[in-house]
Amino acid sequence: MNYEVLFLKGAWAFYSLATAAAFVYLYNKDEKWSRWMFRLVAAGLALHLASFGFGMHYFWKIPDNRYYFPINSFFGALSFLSLATVAVFFVIESRHQLGILGAFVLPWAAIGTGSALIFANPAVEGLVPALQNYWINIHPVILMTSYAAFGNAFGVGVALLIQEHQIKSRKPSELCYRLPSIEELDNLNYRIIVWAFPVLTVGIIMGGIWAYSAWGRFWGWDPKETWALITALVYAGYLHMRFVKGLRGKKAVYVSMVGFACVLFTFLGVNFLSPLHGYLSGGG
Amino acid sequence: MFKPQMTRILRSIRFNIFLGSLIAFFAAVGTILPQLGQEPQKANAFMQAHPLWTKFFSFFGMFDLYHSWWFMGILALMAVDVVLCKLWNKPPDVGIVSLPPELTNEEDLEKHLDKKEAALKLKPFQAFFGSKMGLEDAWLAARGHLKREGYHVKEEFFLPGQAGAFTATKHRIQRWGSYFAHIGLVVILIGALIRSVFGFVEMVPVLEGGSRRMQHMFDPRSFAQRVEQLFWGHPWNMKEPIDVYVDKFTIEYYHGTMEPKLFASNARVMAGDQLLGQKIIRVNHPLDINGVRFYQASWGAGGMFRSVTLKLGKETLKLPQRTPVKIPGTPFTVEADMMLPNFTITDGQADTASLDLKNPAVRLMFSVGPHQTSPLWLLQNYPDLCFTEDANGQLTHAPSPPFQLAAVDPILFSGIQVAYDPGFPIVVLGAIMWLLGMIALFYMHRRRIWVLLESSGAGSCRVNLGAWSSRGVREYEAEFRSLAKSLRTELKSEDNFRLTENPIVEVS
Repeated sequence: MNYEVLFLKGAWAFYSLATAAAFVYLYNKDEKWSRWMFRLVAAGLALHLASFGFGMHYFWKIPDNRYYFPINSFFGALSFLSLATVAVFFVIESRHQLGILGAFVLPWAAIGTGSALIFANPAVEGLVPALQNYWINIHPVILMTSYAAFGNAFGVGVALLIQEHQIKSRKPSELCYRLPSIEELDNLNYRIIVWAFPVLTVGIIMGGIWAYSAWGRFWGWDPKETWALITALVYAGYLHMRFVKGLRGKKAVYVSMVGFACVLFTFLGVNFLSPLHGYLSGGG
Repeated sequence: MFKPQMTRILRSIRFNIFLGSLIAFFAAVGTILPQLGQEPQKANAFMQAHPLWTKFFSFFGMFDLYHSWWFMGILALMAVDVVLCKLWNKPPDVGIVSLPPELTNEEDLEKHLDKKEAALKLKPFQAFFGSKMGLEDAWLAARGHLKREGYHVKEEFFLPGQAGAFTATKHRIQRWGSYFAHIGLVVILIGALIRSVFGFVEMVPVLEGGSRRMQHMFDPRSFAQRVEQLFWGHPWNMKEPIDVYVDKFTIEYYHGTMEPKLFASNARVMAGDQLLGQKIIRVNHPLDINGVRFYQASWGAGGMFRSVTLKLGKETLKLPQRTPVKIPGTPFTVEADMMLPNFTITDGQADTASLDLKNPAVRLMFSVGPHQTSPLWLLQNYPDLCFTEDANGQLTHAPSPPFQLAAVDPILFSGIQVAYDPGFPIVVLGAIMWLLGMIALFYMHRRRIWVLLESSGAGSCRVNLGAWSSRGVREYEAEFRSLAKSLRTELKSEDNFRLTENPIVEVS
């Protein structure tokens, strides 16, 4: 029996239940739904960590894969990205206790985990020579952590747009009173991005250093690295607009959402353009 | 030279954001339009398929977009603009705005004492309380307390019997984070520029057991090398061409698959008779000779082979490349002249999908005396498949042959990438500066507290606090509240103190 998949299925179930609880909490003032959401997320996270642990156990059965993280396959990458998304959400939720944020972030984690289970192949494969390097435990891990944080910021952005719409509408619904203020959401969106942006750029630089040690070039304009750079440029634009031009609210969120679209394209879309970073080729 | 209006545009952050957007846009175009540097075959195919577009795109260097003069120009302009922006534009940071009254000397303090309320109201966080300590004692105690809290106390002014004031700051380095990060960015770009001027990358495919001469020459008389000598010294001072030898190439596959787990070249680098370096190079483990690095970048089967083995019933027959061999017990001779590593059919003709040995196929010619049959293609992985090839190279299915392709012993080539990048240490230095700048800018939070003490008779005084922080409002509010409370205890205050935030809200 493949315990990695089994535990991931369990995590998926808990994330889905937590998402459902988060949606109920949007329309039901009872705080117990928020508490349940948090507990379900914690349980899902524990199962997901166990799944990752088993994944490592299976992966290391091939001696050449020791002691690298099993994130070379699409399955491994998607599972790790979902894990990181939930972990970042867990940290934000523990610190801010917004409760309401779950409805905007957890669906992504549930979709990510579900997609890994449905569309990706969990079979363990040996690492290609380019990936047999300790950098695999650093470069993609850092980058995917930043992607996960941007995913959370995107959730906050969606909440902000809904709140903005509610406030401007003539008949604001119950939701308007449940969501935090626009200022608070804008501040949270900004603070997540401010945390994730340096992580993204450091991840890109680490990739450059790895590329130099593997192929002798720091930067090769490979589509994956180019799109990561585009993502960084968009978020840098967001930070400058906010810092210098004082951009706030809806417009700032639109810019950050363009950034998240770039994140998604860097993670998924580029695989159709680049054989080097493509999961199917197993390249670097 | 430049009109003031021009420099204003150049140093504006808006213009820098525009340049960043332009770089992002063209970088994205380069990932969609096939590039000669990244995917030469795809780019050539595109050029053949769209001759009209090709004329247009080639004019603007779009097939080597990232190295085109105008793209490099935008990058360089961006670097210059970042420097201009940082030189001319002060950071939008309320923390550097001094608290009015402008406390430059004691007289100023005296002059502006009456304006203190208004001045403190400019700070996002304020607290006011009375103290049961004399002015001087309270002044010393407040300074001591903030120092113990990790604050750096400066701008101290004291008028005996009247008032005292000072500012206390923490994590002042945060202010320099932005400068440091932007300088780091420019240093990275300088490193990249040094690489593009002085560095090189050359792909040297070497057949196993053979050698290949590098195209790049190390001519000490060249301009680039003379400049390099002046600054950091060129790795090699020789006029002889460099030959790369691969004495042995090893490839190992994961069990039961054609996925390589290791490939390595036993490589030698020679300049004439002189041995410059020797190593078994693997991916991620290059050979370094004075900064010039030899990387194991790729490998492949180019179609050469030592021998192929045919299975005829129980017998096997080994055929070296292009050497006719007589088939025992028959009048036939057979010759294997061509091998394709990953056989596929393109436009009815034999072709290879890649250079790895995923589906090896061999072309055989049978002859009896002077008469030769049509060439025949046999596939190692599909023993029942067989194709004949006509004079135009077109393939036709043929019935299963009575012999099979049992094995191929290919001569592989090792793709060795030779790279020299004197800009790399500078890029790393820039990256470290960027990282430190980012940590200071985003992860450290500056706090600045203004303290104004006024005497309110013997043995008591009035304490006014104003504060600002780059931290989030919510987080700093809690921190300031706790700091004000501890200071109040320290200064033996019995008041219910007022802790305010703009707009002023009373807190008991």
